[in-house]
Amino acid sequence: MMQGSSYSMRDTFGKLLAELGEKNKDIVVITADVGDSTRAMYFREKFPDRYFNVGISEQDMINFAAGLSAVGFKPLIVNFSMFVMRAWEQIRNSVARMNLDVKILVTHAGYSDSGDGSSHQSLEDIALMRVLPNMKVIVPADPEDIKRSLPVVVQELRGPLYYRVGREYSPSITTGVDYDFKLGKAYVLRDGDDVAIMGAGVVLWDALKAAEELEKMGISAAVINLFSIKPMDEDTIEYYARKTGRVVTIEEHSIYGGIGSAIAEVLAKRYPTKMRFIGATTFGRSARSQRDLLDYYGINYKSVISAALELVK
Amino acid sequence: MEKGGSDGTPISLEELNKLKSIAERARRNVIRMLFYDQTIHVGSSLSSIEILTTLFFRYLREGKDPINRDWLILSKGHAAPALYAVLAEKGYISEDELWKIQDISGLLQGHPEIFIPGVDMATGSLGQGLSFGIGVAQGIKMKGGTGRVFVIMGDGEQDEGEIWEAMTHAVTRKLDNLIAFIEMNGFQLDDSTGNVKPKDFLPDVWKAVGWKTLSCDGHDFVSIVNTIDEALKVRAPVVIFAKTVRGKGFPVIENSKRQRSSPDDARKFLLNA
Repeated sequence: MMQGSSYSMRDTFGKLLAELGEKNKDIVVITADVGDSTRAMYFREKFPDRYFNVGISEQDMINFAAGLSAVGFKPLIVNFSMFVMRAWEQIRNSVARMNLDVKILVTHAGYSDSGDGSSHQSLEDIALMRVLPNMKVIVPADPEDIKRSLPVVVQELRGPLYYRVGREYSPSITTGVDYDFKLGKAYVLRDGDDVAIMGAGVVLWDALKAAEELEKMGISAAVINLFSIKPMDEDTIEYYARKTGRVVTIEEHSIYGGIGSAIAEVLAKRYPTKMRFIGATTFGRSARSQRDLLDYYGINYKSVISAALELVK
Repeated sequence: MEKGGSDGTPISLEELNKLKSIAERARRNVIRMLFYDQTIHVGSSLSSIEILTTLFFRYLREGKDPINRDWLILSKGHAAPALYAVLAEKGYISEDELWKIQDISGLLQGHPEIFIPGVDMATGSLGQGLSFGIGVAQGIKMKGGTGRVFVIMGDGEQDEGEIWEAMTHAVTRKLDNLIAFIEMNGFQLDDSTGNVKPKDFLPDVWKAVGWKTLSCDGHDFVSIVNTIDEALKVRAPVVIFAKTVRGKGFPVIENSKRQRSSPDDARKFLLNA
């Protein structure tokens, strides 16, 4: 598949992180021996004194960052999504419980570590993070979304935050769409009347593709980029549920406890709506590309189209 | 490392007697908490009284500046009653508050929370205090502060994998403003440490990794003071293996795995002792 951006998700992330280090002297980057893979290395090259590789020690990594935060630094943990989950309890009991200004910036989320297989693929992280008090969860869709949001996340937002990035696969989704990132705000990538497709992350490419195909069938589909998973833009979700009466959610994550679940929680409370959930239901496997995995597990535009047709009929 | 006012000076008889009387009141107050709540970890708390008293009343430099004050991290958070009793002696919290420990209307939680005055880290889940202390100590050094970090752990806590991660990390960072205590009281929750998982090798392991290892009698003020004074001179992370007794000074549970006792036992003890 063509990639719409010159840099991948992780390269965009890593290069921007190093730029942000220039202006923000209290930023420290902490990783657990994955500095090269996560592209934290760009920060390391420029600011070796503010870069810490703690070794393959994720639990220590979290509490070390918490301690640095307690004396006034702004720690950014940069690591693989899956291996941060190993230290979920440290995140829960230290970072979230003390409401510390520790940002957890992960790469290799979802199926993006396609070759390494299910041990490295992270399909439960959004559920695990959004359940935590004080924790914010941000999921950018493409490199443009990273450019919109990372400066705000690093320079303006305070407190525990989980920021979810993939790896190489970076289809262009929001290029040319004009908006700024704001915490708790969703963005309408495409307006529509018959069904609303809601989600976050790289799979929004499939949401847009499905909307195009549905249009050819005479069905008008809106596509919403939730972007901020917690807090979530309840007003926009309710508005599009009322407008279309049908909601399809798509996520590169388990449908249990993830983005679709979060939307369902909002709608059950504010405007009960017929829904369909597209996402993972089990562990992944190895593949040569992330795209192969999305297609293999049916987290793609074809599934969105089927779900939309089922709701419309 | 800059020394606090009384660091390095031999302890006077007057100060020794003062520390003893503070610890005695704190010990009685921990036991008295049993009148109000029987689920607190009295045994582990009584193991920590003298170390906490010494640190708070002789070493810890207070202040609002996070890099120019000392930090006390009670990694064995279940000894919270001892911490609270000493904090009450220090004036951080009122003695009346002690009797509301774990009550829905009270401030004092079963394990330390940072909204409690005098608490530097929310703990309770074991094995996390040392890593946090390393972050604090590293941050202080980067900012050129004079603050020192004291972390108190238990022997059972050494079973946690994060301890290994942190132990090796502190040496890598060459932190000389970090002093860890490991209370060797010989018991963990279910049984004696020997029956659960032996701990005798711990000093050798910490030494091999690169820590300066010292030992003291964790209930003897002269021993604790001399050892901390020695630790403060070392240009490396220091761990002090403190021989302590679970339930120290409360015969009905002393040196046993029993954490708790009844209000009646507490009353009898406080009337007679």
